[in-house]
Amino acid sequence: MLVPINIIVNGEEYHLKVKPNQILLDVLREDLGLTGSKQGCGLGKCGACTVLLNGKPVHSCLILAPYADGKEIVTIEGIAGEEPHPLQTAFAEKGAVQCGFCTPGMINAAKALLDDNPEPSEAEIKLAIAGNLCRCTGYNQIVSAIQSCAPSNSDIQTEKRGKSNE
Amino acid sequence: MSKLDVVGKSFPQIDALEKAMGKTKFVTDLALPQMLHGRVLRSPYPHAKIKNIDTSKAARLAGVKAVVTYADTPGIKYGPRTDDWTIFADDKARFYGDEVAAVAAVDEDTAEGALDLIEVEYEELPFVADPLEAMQADAPLVHDDKPGNIAAEFKVEAGDVDQAFKDSHVIYEDRYYTNQVYQAYMEPMGALAEIDKSGRLTLWTGTQIPNMMRMTYATALGVSADNIRVIVPDYGGAFGAKMENNVHLVAAILARKSGRPVRLINTRHDDFIAGNPRVPMYIDIKLGATKDGILTGKEVQVVGGAGARVVYSQVIVATACYRVDSLYRFKHVRSKGFTVYTNTVPTACFRGFGNSQMTFVLESALDMIAEQLNIDPVDLRLKNGIGPNETSVHGWKINSSGLKECVVKAAEKAEWKTKRGQKKPFKGIGLSCCNHVSGNRPFAREFDGGAGIVRIGRDGRITVYHGESDMGQGQKTTFAQIAAERLGVPLEMIYVADVDTDISPFGLGSFATRGTLMGGNGVLAAAKDAFKQLAETAAGMLEASAEDVRCRKGSFFISGSPEKSLPFKEVAAQATYDRHGAPVVGTGFYTPPTVLPDLETKYGNISPAYPFACQIAEVEIDPDTGQVTVTNFVGAHDVGRAINPLATEGQVRGGVTQGLGWTLMENMAYADGKLINPDFVDYIVPSALDVPEIKPILVEPIEPNGPYGAKGIGEPALNPTMSAITNAIYNATGIRIKELPVSPEKLLEEINKKRGQPTDNK
Ligand code: FES
Ligand code: FES
Repeated sequence: MLVPINIIVNGEEYHLKVKPNQILLDVLREDLGLTGSKQGCGLGKCGACTVLLNGKPVHSCLILAPYADGKEIVTIEGIAGEEPHPLQTAFAEKGAVQCGFCTPGMINAAKALLDDNPEPSEAEIKLAIAGNLCRCTGYNQIVSAIQSCAPSNSDIQTEKRGKSNE
Repeated sequence: MSKLDVVGKSFPQIDALEKAMGKTKFVTDLALPQMLHGRVLRSPYPHAKIKNIDTSKAARLAGVKAVVTYADTPGIKYGPRTDDWTIFADDKARFYGDEVAAVAAVDEDTAEGALDLIEVEYEELPFVADPLEAMQADAPLVHDDKPGNIAAEFKVEAGDVDQAFKDSHVIYEDRYYTNQVYQAYMEPMGALAEIDKSGRLTLWTGTQIPNMMRMTYATALGVSADNIRVIVPDYGGAFGAKMENNVHLVAAILARKSGRPVRLINTRHDDFIAGNPRVPMYIDIKLGATKDGILTGKEVQVVGGAGARVVYSQVIVATACYRVDSLYRFKHVRSKGFTVYTNTVPTACFRGFGNSQMTFVLESALDMIAEQLNIDPVDLRLKNGIGPNETSVHGWKINSSGLKECVVKAAEKAEWKTKRGQKKPFKGIGLSCCNHVSGNRPFAREFDGGAGIVRIGRDGRITVYHGESDMGQGQKTTFAQIAAERLGVPLEMIYVADVDTDISPFGLGSFATRGTLMGGNGVLAAAKDAFKQLAETAAGMLEASAEDVRCRKGSFFISGSPEKSLPFKEVAAQATYDRHGAPVVGTGFYTPPTVLPDLETKYGNISPAYPFACQIAEVEIDPDTGQVTVTNFVGAHDVGRAINPLATEGQVRGGVTQGLGWTLMENMAYADGKLINPDFVDYIVPSALDVPEIKPILVEPIEPNGPYGAKGIGEPALNPTMSAITNAIYNATGIRIKELPVSPEKLLEEINKKRGQPTDNK
């Protein structure tokens, strides 16, 4: 027994048939091939699967696909325009990415924060990403990458890789 | 050394932006046509006879393509160190989580559903979970052929330890315990397995040791190693854990039986109960010193829990036994180690590899000695620390040592003198040092070192092939920087290939903090060879002799006249034409000046270079709850030269954070032989809220054996963290932490005990 759902993912409309107990993360990864969202725990405790559902960050491993019917979803693949999103550039440039498995979820959590609160304090940043585990970086660089994207900090467009080499 | 253009500069990882864009394909993201999904049925008992397995119902479920058990394997005993492994439990399950059967099905749900239909008849057996209990005469045997549950013993002795203790002014003696913790890399273990038409197996998996793994798995599968190909895509962290694990072989057996590719990724739960967590250890230490604080003798006994089979625990116990002996100028040391089977998950490597356990103990003991002698802990380290061009008690040749500089710089940055002097209640500051290796000679007895291949095609695309592993730490970027520097091109011209055992050099892998030094030297040698070939072509084009040809920032020129230059691409094209289409292929290898330790005395020189560190933690303790907060952290690290300071600092921050988690939060808890916290709900790792600003200091004494002077950083980033924090707790409360982790409950109990007593608590 499959349930029909209509969702908008990264601006594109999809008409899908899903199992009633299928989780949104699976739909994104397996059905739509959007593997940028990761599964780190399946229990809502690591944040690797964080996507934006109607602009709010959610753990897509906990959302049943039918619940997303009629809603708009943005994944890591959908936040860049022509150029990478400033958070993506900042994460890369500031050493906030090591293995990168946590990064998509982390960036989505950060994006939701900045959309809501463009000038967050350090404490607010830490709180906003407290549900996103990173085992590689120790978070310091992640926090400063997010801070650098606040409008008052305009140093994010650091030189492209290799420039300092010339 | 002439001015460096690429090495020593902070570049983002070469693949960081792809990762941030969500484009990188991790193991979990790989898929092949007709691919099936695998799931493993694991033992619900820590120890049980398997009397019968009925898979017929599961096999009949629609969508199930294969169900396998021990009967579907070649039944060969194998293992990376000891032949005590089988693919699937044979006649009995030896730990909660042991592989009993597995299913491959068209989707995960079906595979999961099929597991419930497998009927296993168990007969529960008495089990033993604690390594000390496992050594008792009446303990149940994990392996019937291993009396006393002893998997391995290790002994080392140098000097006259008994006399040294007699000559000591103070002696400190105590027992410590370091617990079992889980690496918690964000991507669980797993593999995609495919058998081709000739029967050859390809495994796509995140592994630190692609080549050694292949050899172990060849034995397990009863095939020759050339019948296995291992490809290492990007993967989500390892921290020591991602070496051999049965989950990969289960994927292979499922692929064999079903005739289709199988992707088998551990659920987080399975990864907790059947990964390769840290070796728990009981450590007895006796340490002596003279009145002036010169260390005299050291004696330790280590009892390490192997779990139900030996992964690398015996080497880890050995490392715990004697690696720290080369941190200070010890002359008289004696160690004994027992690696003991228990009915728990097999334990293995986790950043620090036994040295972290012993560093915690030794550095705790040093602070106790410092207190007895009324010497500042900083001074005690400075008095005894091993310096450059010294040979340690076990024959280790220390070329560069920035140990003392690390101590001095860390103390300065943390304002040690001031803060130690102005002691406030329930606030404390503590320090700890460590040493480590950049490669471990006895790990693979066949050879040591590293190799590289640099291929330059007609279009000037430069591809570096290595045989180590980028688990996310940035190994690729380090290699790219080394190759770019040597070739004289900008970093963005270098592409670093994923390791593929069909193509890449036969590297030993990324462990023992060896990647940068060993693999880096291999890549450097290959780049040198490639450069030589290109220089000959350029010499012809520039009408000069090859020795005078230079390349910088992507242009070839004659030394002394940079105004006439040739773009790299033009030279690469000409070189290819001269070779009738063949690419320029530079190969090279590095032979480290290591000495395999003598089997009896352990005297040798296990690494070409030894990194050192000193870390300082400040803590605040809530006297009403026992909650410890780390408020400030400084980590000074001797890295030889930081090839990439940004990445090197990233290693320090990541390592310290893992150490902080181990010290204050993390513990694999068992009840009735079962892990009771196999998920991130109950096993808590540090979040952004738990980590203070970590301030790395890079000390760069330029190591003669390192590529551009570099040593490793991965493991020393964590080694000293635990004792830095617990020494700070001691400074704050007078409570000596002898067992990890420090739970608030335990600490509060101690605090209350102290309050109840009229002690001289400072
Ligand atoms: S996978 Fe969703 S929170 Fe971990
Ligand atoms: S970068 Fe590896 S988990 Fe965050």
